[in-house]
Amino acid sequence: MSDSPHLSRRSLFRRVVEGLAGLALWRQAQPVSAQSVAETGPLTARVTRPYDAETPVREFTSFLTPAHRLFVRSHFGPPPQEALTEQNWKLTVGGLVERPQSFALKALRELEPVTVTSVLQCSGNGRAFHRPKVPGVQWERGAVGNVRWTGARLRDVLEGAGLRGHARHVQFQGADRPVVSSVPLFIRSIPLAKALHPDTLLAYEMNGRPLPLLHGAPLRVVTPGWMAESCVKWLTDITVRSDEAEGYYMQTAYRMPVTAIHPQSGLPGTSMAPVEAIVVKSVIASPEEGARVGPGPVTIQGVAWSGESPIAGVEVSCDDGQTWDSARLVGEDLPYAWRQWQFVWRPSQSGEVTIHCRATDVEGQVQPRVSPWNPSGFMWNGWDHVTVTVGR
Amino acid sequence: MTKWSSVAAVVVLVVGLSYAMRSGAQEDDLVMALAPRAEGLILARCSVCHSPDLITQQRLPKDRWVATVEKMTHWGAQLSPDEADVLVRFLSARYHPGAPDSLPSLDADVHKAEPLEQPQGQTGPLVGVAARGAGIFEHNCQACHGAGASGAFGPALAKNPILKHEDLFWETVLHGRGPMPAWGGALSHQDIADVHAWLLSR
Repeated sequence: MSDSPHLSRRSLFRRVVEGLAGLALWRQAQPVSAQSVAETGPLTARVTRPYDAETPVREFTSFLTPAHRLFVRSHFGPPPQEALTEQNWKLTVGGLVERPQSFALKALRELEPVTVTSVLQCSGNGRAFHRPKVPGVQWERGAVGNVRWTGARLRDVLEGAGLRGHARHVQFQGADRPVVSSVPLFIRSIPLAKALHPDTLLAYEMNGRPLPLLHGAPLRVVTPGWMAESCVKWLTDITVRSDEAEGYYMQTAYRMPVTAIHPQSGLPGTSMAPVEAIVVKSVIASPEEGARVGPGPVTIQGVAWSGESPIAGVEVSCDDGQTWDSARLVGEDLPYAWRQWQFVWRPSQSGEVTIHCRATDVEGQVQPRVSPWNPSGFMWNGWDHVTVTVGR
Repeated sequence: MTKWSSVAAVVVLVVGLSYAMRSGAQEDDLVMALAPRAEGLILARCSVCHSPDLITQQRLPKDRWVATVEKMTHWGAQLSPDEADVLVRFLSARYHPGAPDSLPSLDADVHKAEPLEQPQGQTGPLVGVAARGAGIFEHNCQACHGAGASGAFGPALAKNPILKHEDLFWETVLHGRGPMPAWGGALSHQDIADVHAWLLSR
């Protein structure tokens, strides 16, 4: 194959080719693995090394996501454990501060502890649903969770060090390192206003237990209401700056077009801004995709969240979005946390039915049928859906 | 619909179908021809940093495969321009936007992957050549095991007791162990023997 003039004609026939996928597979005469994705206990692995894995959505029937079921994402995998021991690990605070300092974990634990329950969500959650497809880990619905974090306020640490006049951004770096030193380090920054927000934490506990290695032990940043790439794990270095952090993971990755762009418009095509706040979203945890339900009443349940704004309502449609019914919001109602919801559905006929859900937050943001396409496939929040069979 | 327009529609459909089948067949032939070398490159050069499943879950048009391979080369993936070209052609033929969600995994093909430097007409027991092993180590192993095999992300191999247990050494290199990928598809037995001889000399 070459880039011949046949290409455009070939793309015309692409759909037919897709229809012949079975033939293509047969021609390869190779065993077909049933699933390219391994169900590894409580998580579904997307990448085995460095380990990236998401939570099966059936687990989202609980308010808090246990550590062993929370999605795992990192660029390089965890640092060697000896770098994180009580003796070896320390947090340094430097840059535009009056008094650069360093902390042992014990010293951070002596600052006033704060507990915040918040959604942690990968910006790429739902990337697999963007069309045209985009490169990156093909997350589906489970790169998200709801966690009770405990830690010191980042603000208390920064004020202890004394901010200098032109401090505008706060940069984070963890102890994780790429295999090959020519790969850029994972360095992120957040604007000073978010860093000084009283809910922004340097967390050492999740759900009342010390952070496990995969989730950033001994210390990670938690920016409630913002996407997870700001929540740097294995934190070792805080640097106060006058500008955004440099480097690939701040200046190129984790950025979105400022205005919606057409997939064919070229890359990046418009000015790009860092991904920050979580957008309104809901998912159906039960029934599961492909389940057999009914014929009596069926409880549809799930969770809904929106970064810095409470959820106003969740609606359910069993006719492809023509009509919607309001679900009941249940359980705990906390800022930054997700909200559980339920809807009792009385199916009127048997056979296959697709159930959709969509959430609205108090600022009036509504989950769209399809999210705006962007080159990195971030922030998918299209209507969630499962297809079930109503039995007799 | 008139009789003639029906006939015309059928002709268009048949011609279209046969064209699509031919394109599909050509695509398959290309994939088959490139697969052994490309899969060897993925195992040897890409999986230094990440497992091949990160690659095989993508469905991208050629321009985005080009950009991805360029990015990886820029970041230190050891690919010559010729190797990068083989990789892009293979990836964009097999993992294109219209490819089915489920394709046979690379792991299933590992045994078919062609060693990058296949010794020909080899007879008798393998004798490792330490001088040759140094270069093979540098190109394939050093990223994880450090310069001089003194250890980095992976363990130090110089004076490592595993060198004395050749069966365990071969088992690990051929089939992988923990975070280490299997190299059986990327290195020939002669390559592995050469690396072993060089490591013993350290």
